[in-house]
Amino acid sequence: MKILYFAHVAQAVGRREDNLDVSAPVTAEALWDRLLVLRPALAPYRASIYLARNRAYATGDDQFLNDDEVALLPPVSGG
Amino acid sequence: MWVEILFFDKPLPPPPPAPAQVLGLAGAWAEFHGCVRATEAGQNISALRYEIYESMALVRVSAHLEALARQHGLLAARFWHRHGVVPIGEAAVYLAVAAPHRGPALKALGELIDLLKADVPIWKVEAIPA
Repeated sequence: MKILYFAHVAQAVGRREDNLDVSAPVTAEALWDRLLVLRPALAPYRASIYLARNRAYATGDDQFLNDDEVALLPPVSGG
Repeated sequence: MWVEILFFDKPLPPPPPAPAQVLGLAGAWAEFHGCVRATEAGQNISALRYEIYESMALVRVSAHLEALARQHGLLAARFWHRHGVVPIGEAAVYLAVAAPHRGPALKALGELIDLLKADVPIWKVEAIPA
């Protein structure tokens, strides 16, 4: 699973992306557990980050698969 | 509907006129330039730095334009956004929409700006001090 970081979240973790292996589909909750172990610096941002799965905002029912592109999106501020 | 969505890492070029496909159909070609101000959060700045998740921004903007087209009868839309460092006074965003009449065009343009700010993955990542 490709994990993408943007804006100040990328600055906090010091990188733009990670690769995470998941052997079976995982919920957002389980994915966050893995992400926080991998990148503890994400912890302060968790409440404000939206997850996107394959370029769409994830819903609470989404299952994340190993070949997904998952993006961690802080609140947007374009324009 | 004719749609053009582009992202630039340099100054936005002078936008061309409404596309030929809508000439004679569009009574309105409404445009918006969003420019960087000299202050951000009360501080004097020289520039803003933007970042875009381009592949998802393309999906979100396309979906918004399709919905706005259904709602307001848009004939064409142009969505340009810049990333990287944008100095004060320069445009970070340029939007334009065509519709048969000015009312729907202006309304759709306002809604598009609001939608851009609501969920299109674009960020101001840094305010560079003056």
